[in-house]
Amino acid sequence: MAAEPAAPADGGADSPSDVLLRMHRQDELVPRYPEVKRLLAEMSGPELLRAGNLLSRLDPDRVVAAHPAVPALTVAVTGHGTLGALLPALTAELARHGLLLRARLSDFDSYVFDLGDPGSGLYASRPEVALCVLDAAVVFDEVATPWQPADVERVAAEKLALLAGLADRFADSCDGTLVLNTVPLPRRFTAQLVDHRSRARLGAVWREFNTGLLRLAEDRPSLAVLDLDPLVACGVAAEDVRLSVYAKARLSPPLLAEYAREVGHLARHVAGSTKKVLVLDLDGTVWGGVLGDDGPDGIEVSGSYRGEAFAAFQRVVEQLASQGVLLAAASKNDVEPVRRVLREHPDMRLGEEHFVRIAASWGPKHEALAETAAALNLGTDAFVFVDDSAYERELVRRELPDVTVVAVDDEPALHVTHLLRDGWFDSLRLTSEDHARVSRYRQEADRRDFLDGFSSVEDYLRELEVSVRLAAPGPAELPRVSQLTLRTNQFNMTTVRMQPTEVGELIAAKDTQVLAVHSSDRFGDNGLVGALFLRRERERLHIDNFVLSCRVFARGIEQTCLSSVLRHARQTGATSVAGTYRRTAKNGKVAGLYTAHGFTEVADDGTTAAFRHDLHHVPAPPPHVHLTESFAPHEEL
Amino acid sequence: MTTLDEFLDFVSRELGLDVTTHDADRNVDELPGWDSMFLLTLVTALEQQAGRRVLLADALQASTLRDVHKLAVDA
Repeated sequence: MAAEPAAPADGGADSPSDVLLRMHRQDELVPRYPEVKRLLAEMSGPELLRAGNLLSRLDPDRVVAAHPAVPALTVAVTGHGTLGALLPALTAELARHGLLLRARLSDFDSYVFDLGDPGSGLYASRPEVALCVLDAAVVFDEVATPWQPADVERVAAEKLALLAGLADRFADSCDGTLVLNTVPLPRRFTAQLVDHRSRARLGAVWREFNTGLLRLAEDRPSLAVLDLDPLVACGVAAEDVRLSVYAKARLSPPLLAEYAREVGHLARHVAGSTKKVLVLDLDGTVWGGVLGDDGPDGIEVSGSYRGEAFAAFQRVVEQLASQGVLLAAASKNDVEPVRRVLREHPDMRLGEEHFVRIAASWGPKHEALAETAAALNLGTDAFVFVDDSAYERELVRRELPDVTVVAVDDEPALHVTHLLRDGWFDSLRLTSEDHARVSRYRQEADRRDFLDGFSSVEDYLRELEVSVRLAAPGPAELPRVSQLTLRTNQFNMTTVRMQPTEVGELIAAKDTQVLAVHSSDRFGDNGLVGALFLRRERERLHIDNFVLSCRVFARGIEQTCLSSVLRHARQTGATSVAGTYRRTAKNGKVAGLYTAHGFTEVADDGTTAAFRHDLHHVPAPPPHVHLTESFAPHEEL
Repeated sequence: MTTLDEFLDFVSRELGLDVTTHDADRNVDELPGWDSMFLLTLVTALEQQAGRRVLLADALQASTLRDVHKLAVDA
């Protein structure tokens, strides 16, 4: 590396780093904060860290005051070692997702007090995410020299029990998500044992410790354990010995940066902006060669060096799709040959059935993406787009800045690495709904074809045979209800995001009630597609939130639900029902929901509107919907 | 990065601190926006830039940016 201060690599135009530095020097980072996300999108490594240094010195309150729409997330950072270096990395990683970090950094080695005392400052800060960063010194600081593997085993078991207790205390004291991590064991510990037998024993003891940590998350819904071993296995140094010795910074800055990246994606999920759709270019991305030029027999998908690389990429894409990621294709090709090759090519891993939409045309790709978004009824910010052409990537980046653009290049063996570099689709847990999502969206395409055969929407709805079942969710359904609050942006009346434990608390409480909305029609079961959050206050029933999956809008399900709730309110002696709408950038289409169903607007301060229904005239459910309802508590709760 | 000014420019880019020659002899703790972690960040970045090692225990005792520059140049 040159000793001179780094100049922009391209020598000409300012790099995003330069722009950011200039904004910092001219004191423009706060007024122009919404631009930061785009500047960070292409940064990584030291460049991103430098950006984090600048951004971590901004006062989050000033940013929020200037831009009330910027979502802020409170993250508490505690642990055993010195963790100050984590903050710039975290700030930058959250900012990449458009999230503003409100950090609460604990004093050195205070995690036991922070998490163990319900009155601690950590709990008082009401973190949405709490990071308890663990390192090998958590154990080795309490192992006296000289030591044997059995000594390490004893301390590790004590620490594991301690951490299990702290995780339980966290779940009782806080609605947020706690993040622990597995602990890499540097060689400077194993190599202190001179015989291989003891070394192997220490290795086994240490892995049992890490296994125990990972297992803590199995039955604790509010806990996530980040496995650092795969990061270390990719060549990220676990520690910088000098920083560890002199500053008690136990994990190396590069490992903390990778850790921060994983936390960034988790934060994105917690904040409710998980990516949902993977849009793939085809020529050069999914297969080698150009279908239009090389023909179906000429493209590379197996049997050659490059063919095997593309096959491996397809398998990974299939793996993602099996977990609820919706696949779409955006290709400059004629549609028929594309469909044929996906349907008939004997070595093609991905088939037509894996895609919820195939946009093959000669139009610009951003238009194909926008059309796909409209057809799936999703925002383009839920999209990840992969293309090997720099031209197409730049076009999409410019025209649809909300779309995440992933670059692959002319080395297909690295396609998988590029795709998985960021955990765009990370979530805390999957539900049965995720595994069925692809087929549900495909059913939706069938429904649309069906609709085309009718002269009126009424005829269509009558023939669609919609059924709605409204009932309290059972224990197994809590994750899905939580997920709906996290993933749904358009039909989400107040956009209150909730973890499963919070949903459970509402169900258990005396004056609140949660109703899950299930729907089905002649094409199949739609699954658990919505939820109503009700609260009784004497004679008034409040609808605190109402969420409905965008897959099932506009077929009478929302009318049916509201009609049912209003009727239930009247039957149980309520004299009015109150509804709330809290405006976000995404939920404009439901602003008029309550007034369309007989509610009167009683207040609107610009962000939140309140509605009231006096229950004199309760609308009947739409005649084409078959309704089953039960307002009784679920028998398993 | 042999001159002090080049070093200060590096500090400014790396940490986003607005430092001039005037600040080189001030105690780092008095620099507006200074954080004790910066010394580590700075030394690590310096080493990567220069491709050689700085003695960290000495760097941690440096009280001014001129001291740090001296370490980086002498290393």
